[in-house]
Amino acid sequence: MGRPCHFALFELQPAFTVDLQQLAARYRELARAVHPDRFADAGEREQRLALQRAAELNEAYQVLKSAPRRAHYLLGLQGHELPMEATVQDPQFLLQQMELREELESLHETADLAGVAAFKQRLKAAQLHLEEQFAHCWQDAAQRDMAERLMRRMQFLDKLAREVRQLEERLDD
Amino acid sequence: MAYSEKVIDHYENPRNVGKLDAEDPHVGTGMVGAPACGDVMRLQIKVSDEGIIEDAKFKTYGCGSAIASSSLATEWMKGKTLDEAAQIKNTTIAEELALPPVKIHCSVLAEDAIKAAVQDYKQKNGLA
Repeated sequence: MGRPCHFALFELQPAFTVDLQQLAARYRELARAVHPDRFADAGEREQRLALQRAAELNEAYQVLKSAPRRAHYLLGLQGHELPMEATVQDPQFLLQQMELREELESLHETADLAGVAAFKQRLKAAQLHLEEQFAHCWQDAAQRDMAERLMRRMQFLDKLAREVRQLEERLDD
Repeated sequence: MAYSEKVIDHYENPRNVGKLDAEDPHVGTGMVGAPACGDVMRLQIKVSDEGIIEDAKFKTYGCGSAIASSSLATEWMKGKTLDEAAQIKNTTIAEELALPPVKIHCSVLAEDAIKAAVQDYKQKNGLA
């Protein structure tokens, strides 16, 4: 049996633009239906199937709710399977990444909470901009390389956003 | 996950951290990144008129293994010719640092940075 499409599990058509609130609500609803508690009295086979379905749902949800993972998955659906990790040579963007990390480091050293908040806003804006660009080009075969590059940039910013959150937690303590 | 002693040594005492003037025609710059880890690595070489790498510097944002891989790469490149440096393999770096399988990509990144720096120098000087 092949693995069901992540979008199909949520009764969605493959698309980059996803309503995250709706997705979360649908996930809770679907997850309830396959919750182990509901199968406590069921046979072993039903229990195993429910467990498998819960795992598939969770995996699909994790992919669909994350912009870079969703982008990566969509490119894969288009027959363009890419490894999750790869070496990227995108000099201008990487230089910017380095500068952003230097900036974050100095915000850490000075424990500048307001600075971190401003940084976070800029990062969010950059992420939204990338997502818009990706949404426009991922289905266009002529812009395949661009779509891949944008997906890789999204991965970088996603990782940076996680580092910002960790820094916020540390500064909050 | 435990880091090997060699990784810790390079992480705590990184060799050759810094920057060379990217505009200098004797300098080659390699800039590479690993998006899922968020690692960014800049590796630069300064090449003598005789074609020997006389200096190498790096700056890496990433985990201990990525820092150690690039630190080791700069150490190994010094004194080599461009072609000798381009022969440095990620597997040799990974072996020297005893990197676990999940960190092999860090050594791949270092190898790619070396190649990118050599390539940049060659392009600048009409050798490629």
